[in-house]
Amino acid sequence: MSTPDAAELAYVEQVRREIDDEVRRRGAGDLPPQVERELDELFLRHAPHGRGGAGLADMLRQVDAAVFIDPMVPIASRRPAGAMVKRGLRSVNLWYQRWVTYQVSAFATAVSRALHVLDLQVSELRRAAEDSAPPPAVVVESPELARAGAWWAGPVGDELAGTAGRVLHAACGDGWLVQALAARGLDAYGVDPRPGAVRAHELDTLDLRQEEVGAHLAAVEPGALGAVVLSGVVDGAAHGERLRLVERAVRAVGADGTVVLHSLGRARFDAEDAPPEADLVPARPYRPATWGALLGDMGMAAEVRAAPSGGDYLVVARRTAPAS
Amino acid sequence: MGDEGGSLRVAFVTPRFGPEVMGGAEAAARQLAMHLVGECGWPVEVFTTCATDHITWDDVLAPGDSTDHGVTVHRFRSASGRRPEFYDLDARLRPAPEQATPEQARRWLELNGPVTPDLVDAVAASDAEVVCFYPYLYYPTVVGMERVGAPRVLHPAAHDEPALYLPVFGPTFTGADALCYHTAAERRLLERVHPVAQVPQIVLGLGVADVVRGGRRGGAVTGLGDRPYVVSVGRVDDHKGSSMLAAFFRTYKERHPGPLALVFVGPVATTIPPHEDIVVTGVLDEADKGDVVADAVVSVSPSALESFSLVVLEAWAQSVPVVVNATCDPTREHCQRSGGGLWFGSYAEFEVVLERLLADPDLRATLARRGHAYVERYYQWPELIARYAAFLGAVRARAEAGTAPARQKPPMPTTGLARRSPPVEP
Repeated sequence: MSTPDAAELAYVEQVRREIDDEVRRRGAGDLPPQVERELDELFLRHAPHGRGGAGLADMLRQVDAAVFIDPMVPIASRRPAGAMVKRGLRSVNLWYQRWVTYQVSAFATAVSRALHVLDLQVSELRRAAEDSAPPPAVVVESPELARAGAWWAGPVGDELAGTAGRVLHAACGDGWLVQALAARGLDAYGVDPRPGAVRAHELDTLDLRQEEVGAHLAAVEPGALGAVVLSGVVDGAAHGERLRLVERAVRAVGADGTVVLHSLGRARFDAEDAPPEADLVPARPYRPATWGALLGDMGMAAEVRAAPSGGDYLVVARRTAPAS
Repeated sequence: MGDEGGSLRVAFVTPRFGPEVMGGAEAAARQLAMHLVGECGWPVEVFTTCATDHITWDDVLAPGDSTDHGVTVHRFRSASGRRPEFYDLDARLRPAPEQATPEQARRWLELNGPVTPDLVDAVAASDAEVVCFYPYLYYPTVVGMERVGAPRVLHPAAHDEPALYLPVFGPTFTGADALCYHTAAERRLLERVHPVAQVPQIVLGLGVADVVRGGRRGGAVTGLGDRPYVVSVGRVDDHKGSSMLAAFFRTYKERHPGPLALVFVGPVATTIPPHEDIVVTGVLDEADKGDVVADAVVSVSPSALESFSLVVLEAWAQSVPVVVNATCDPTREHCQRSGGGLWFGSYAEFEVVLERLLADPDLRATLARRGHAYVERYYQWPELIARYAAFLGAVRARAEAGTAPARQKPPMPTTGLARRSPPVEP
């Protein structure tokens, strides 16, 4: 049963969808074209500089707004005879202005059309790429392995003791490991991509953020972290994404940095009581030796610790060669 | 420290400061400084200029020391304000600011003003245990952060503007000991443009003051009588979307004749063409402003360039639903998280949103209720300042423990503009 809060949010979301539908239904042509262009131009005049996603569509609206070159020069004037003089000059020059502006407008229209075709093709390519892309990564974790007292928290704390620089844990959930590492004097923070996972801690002082892990690591200055702990996130990703995640983690840690991976074993992944997300991911967990080989290719020496139950394992990797 | 009972000496560096200053970031710095004094009892000092105008940076206030609500204020003259050459350079760099050379970007910073070497010397010599810089965009922050030895907290107050992409600001962001954001949207923006994800951070925002009402009907203040109206509070400025909102509203009224009016409340920087359904009140006192907002059907924030927008929260504090610019991520985030507002990304959407809101009192009531609850939960000063104090304490503790990342001070080219200012008169 939904809470009153969730029901209200769903209602507002429904209103938003109805507004979108109504805007689409009215479509272009609801306003005189010149008015629509002027209003579009006004709206976009101070639009944010680097908007991701909608950027090309916004820019095309600006192009469209500027395509038509008006040969009718304004003739308003503060001086009594000014408007008359301007009107006369405009009449004299209008044949010439029209000839020039017609050609400029025709050129601008052709460019605009070409850009729209390009936009269409890019949009189709994007749709095709999205259709063929693997599903977005999910966090796969067993509750008993993602809370204080999990067997691997102690070894991670021991391995990272004395780490210089910040320690990132992803997916951090409610910050259980961040708190445990902070209690050992480490400067730890956490990232979790799951909506609402860190919400309960928005108002306390732990540095927990709801962000995509890959995007977060991409925004870390190379070599700026002391260690990265990835748990629950590698198992939920496709092969390529796993590799990218780990490459970014390796890049994010300094020369003395450590990368830690916690992964479920294959048997645990296939067990009847496996986390439900295990059925949704595009790849199975790697064997520990595979991580050893992959991390070795990245200049890291990996050490594996199996869980006492044998259902999951920990990989601790340190750099063997100077950071490139 | 802070709520743990200790005390911290905090300094703020902001290019303008004082009750007469109209500007979101500077007003935010003043609020934080005053609340740290008022609620934590901490000694807080501010290093600022004598300017009130962020275009000219003219020295209009007296240099020297003064006190504002318990905050010690040190004012310094600027060696130079915004220079005429700024506009040429800005126009050249604007289309692709990320391509600017470090020298061009540094020159842009210095031409933008205020160039304040005395201020920087003073803050570098202060005994503050934490120094907070607010906002990122100006010389006192960029050069001050290079010089200060104490832990540095940067409040970027950034929005998606060309200057954010200039290379001169990269080391400012990545070199901070901590970042304090207004919204998660601001953090996402910064992380998209600069590699700052590793920097300790907090998403804080600002508190909303208690609502002040004068007891009059909004229509009595605006002269609109019983006519329903939409309100837009803040600087009436083309850059803030005011001209766009006025044009949208004029078109709306041509297509929807009726009693609805639009009221702009705030200092006027851009003239709005006269229209029988548009009222521009100019600056109102808090009581009148409160009355006008309280009786509005809806409050509109047309600006695309906000990092927080207190006026959105102030409308919700009065249980008034809001409509915001869809391209402004922070205000849109407020609406999405709270469920207290709608947004528009074109005239067509503006029209449909307004039609729907005017025709649906239940929707307005739901949005108002949700917005009000959001302000109550996240933006009350006592809780907010306690979080901030704990955050500053943690920044200081991190520095003392030596776990803060090593300082990187890349050599920056200078352009010779940062000459000494005349000595400050006693």
